[in-house]
Amino acid sequence: MDRAFTEKPHAAEVPRSGAVGTIVNGHYAPPPADKDGKQWIRTSALVLRSPEELYDLWRDIEKAPLWQEQIAQVRATGPTTSHWVMMTGDDPDKSVEWESEILNDEPGKRIAWRSIGGDSDNAGEVIFETSPGDRGTIVTVLQEFRMGKLASAWETLTGRNPKQAIIENLRHFKALAETGEIPRTQGQPHGPRGTIGRGKKSLYGETIATPSGTRRIAS
Amino acid sequence: MKAVCWMGTSDVQTLTVDDPKILNPHDAILKVTRTAICGSDLHLYDGFIPTMEAGDILGHEFMGIVEEVGRDVSNLQKGDRVVVPFTIACGNCIFCKKKIWSACDNTNPNAHLMEAAYGYSGSGLFGYSHMMGGYAGGQAQYVRVPFANVGPLKIESDLVDEKVLFLSDIFPTGYMAAENAQIEEGDTVAVWGCGPVGIFTIASAFMLGATRVIAIDRLPERLEMARRFGAITVDYSQDDVNVLTAVKDLTGGMGPDSCIDAVGLEAHSTEFQGIYDKVKTAVMLETDRPCVLRQAMQAVRKGGTLSIPGVYGGLLDKVPFGAAFGKGITMKMGQTKMHNYMKPLLERIEKGQIDPSSIISHRITLDEAPEMYKVWRDKGDRVTKIVIDPWAARTA
Repeated sequence: MDRAFTEKPHAAEVPRSGAVGTIVNGHYAPPPADKDGKQWIRTSALVLRSPEELYDLWRDIEKAPLWQEQIAQVRATGPTTSHWVMMTGDDPDKSVEWESEILNDEPGKRIAWRSIGGDSDNAGEVIFETSPGDRGTIVTVLQEFRMGKLASAWETLTGRNPKQAIIENLRHFKALAETGEIPRTQGQPHGPRGTIGRGKKSLYGETIATPSGTRRIAS
Repeated sequence: MKAVCWMGTSDVQTLTVDDPKILNPHDAILKVTRTAICGSDLHLYDGFIPTMEAGDILGHEFMGIVEEVGRDVSNLQKGDRVVVPFTIACGNCIFCKKKIWSACDNTNPNAHLMEAAYGYSGSGLFGYSHMMGGYAGGQAQYVRVPFANVGPLKIESDLVDEKVLFLSDIFPTGYMAAENAQIEEGDTVAVWGCGPVGIFTIASAFMLGATRVIAIDRLPERLEMARRFGAITVDYSQDDVNVLTAVKDLTGGMGPDSCIDAVGLEAHSTEFQGIYDKVKTAVMLETDRPCVLRQAMQAVRKGGTLSIPGVYGGLLDKVPFGAAFGKGITMKMGQTKMHNYMKPLLERIEKGQIDPSSIISHRITLDEAPEMYKVWRDKGDRVTKIVIDPWAARTA
């Protein structure tokens, strides 16, 4: 039987059906609610690439820094394990690092993972499904992480709301997959911003570097 | 380089800023040869569009010479002369594939801001607030053009810049307004606003088969221009003129088959509703002043079409939706799907069917732009369209 996405992805028994989680027995299932320090975010995007191409791009985890915000480095440490380094500011000493393990890997369809030690407690799942009407691939991401409300509010004030970061990462993934680049304005000219303009940088996501989307220099 | 920067409401300054650089593989850098101030730039000047920040470079109507291209741009090379559409489109998402280019999924780096306000984000625009992407605009000596592999239209004939510059926005916008009006051979069309978009709407309505076009404005130089393009003009500011009566009188009581609102959110009205909207927007109980929209909804015939190229931004008050429903009208609107129109309209210009440059009243330098924003806002000096040569030295 289909298991809803409300099942924690790193529970002992991982759902294997590939159920998209938004529909259970023909009925819409809302995303899980935040509870007991666990926060959930579910987001999806229609991408005009095949499920196989998108799976390959996502599964190439060492390339995650090309499209995931603030991820400085990912190193595969085994067939299913990897080491992640996230920068939360300019200070290299302030990196957040953790080990991750892939729990379920269905080529062209689905990847589920969880952290297995380090500074971050998270788990997630991504599903690639041909859209109704065969328009493209619906990519659905469910991510769960543990973070206190205070820490979450602090992140929102100083940089990126952690839930928004998941939404933005999927947006970057889609742009990269469809166009070969991630749209950006950081680095373009402007006149003096003034105090108010500088204060609003985090509102515009300008305190977070847009991922490069490419390893090569543009021109 | 020199660029026109928005520094606050009613505060525009020409400043020296850094030159733009290639930032992405599909970017190009243009040396801007001509750029224009759009009526919709006045919504920014007047502070009606949220998420403008001090230092933002203005301008979404521009053309120029390709100076440099990113590694994935193969259709353009240094030296090409191009006109750039004001909406930025990736060419690869589902909306671009459906040719709804202005709804592109992949060109707004600040999509989350627009999603919060509108549910979904449209494409990025040049020089038109952070919500619309925060891209630096083209009222400058150089500009960075993202997705240069998709947008820019090469001009290979020897037509002067001024004749093709308006393919960047207002000619296609006027044309799409007429197309959205679903005009059939023999129709009568009423157009509110005889600014540049209104004028191109009038011209396009005739191209698409309208027999009579009624043009509504209050400024003599604009009404004159509308008559030159073949419209019958109505001056709504005249004491004895009631617009609803006028359009009935001119259609045998039936009403226009299509009504086109080429004014948008900062409409003026001589009626009580004009004061009502000014007060409500001043105290922030309303974001837009929809008096033209209300009038057009009332004026259009039963089963007619209302087309809205004028820009609206937020929440509208006292919109007579019952009239719209009661008459069973069709409403079509939205940012121009630029890429569909640029090439066919260039062909019309090349064939001599229209000379877009005939609406230009002022040719200025970048340094003169700040004072001309004010003139444009106040409709002084019989201004109809302002074009900037970013490389001209100050004349005065």
